[in-house]
Amino acid sequence: MAIIVNLDVMMAKRKISSGELAETIGLSQANLSILKTGKAKAVRFSTLEAICKALNCQPGDILEFRDDGEVEA
Amino acid sequence: MWNREKSLILSKMFIWIFLALLIGFVLYANVIVDNFVQYSRVELNAVKPFFVWTIYVGSIPAVVLLLSMQKLLKCIEVGDVFTVLSVKYLRIISWTCFVGAIIALIGTTYYLPWLFVAIAAAFMGLVVRILKNTFAQAVVLKEEADFTI
Repeated sequence: MAIIVNLDVMMAKRKISSGELAETIGLSQANLSILKTGKAKAVRFSTLEAICKALNCQPGDILEFRDDGEVEA
Repeated sequence: MWNREKSLILSKMFIWIFLALLIGFVLYANVIVDNFVQYSRVELNAVKPFFVWTIYVGSIPAVVLLLSMQKLLKCIEVGDVFTVLSVKYLRIISWTCFVGAIIALIGTTYYLPWLFVAIAAAFMGLVVRILKNTFAQAVVLKEEADFTI
């Protein structure tokens, strides 16, 4: 997938655990895991806002676009 | 009070009734065909074995269809409606209708009114196929909604 989620990197920088972040932003651990592992199909602005607020970062710090050369049919 | 559970029980009951009717139809195929030929205005004595074999062959997709319907109802019962599994059962139901239509179409070679059965079965197959396409799209949408964080 072209969009990479660098949430675990940012969490490590801020020294915050999954459980702690999930509780702060009001997300279940399972959903946070889906987001961290890149299985998510979409991210709500409200979720992104809550993550950025909790980690004190920008959306660009969490999401990254990488051109993997895949062309959609 | 009428509710979802009672509606499902009624649907299941109908499936079991149809299954029982089908078993009875297959077991007494000879007797049924004999009676049919006897009361028919057209002379059909020569094609009696073809009638019996059409019933025997046609009962195979009919059993598959009824069992798939039963499994689909089980999926609905546990709340797994828009899943790959329910799409699979709908696909099987649709194809069994088409197979039934082909069997009936072959039957028209000795008894033309089988054509009505063939058309009805093919139309039913088409309706279920469109339903299957709708369910397949719903599965994609549900997956997207489930994985929207």
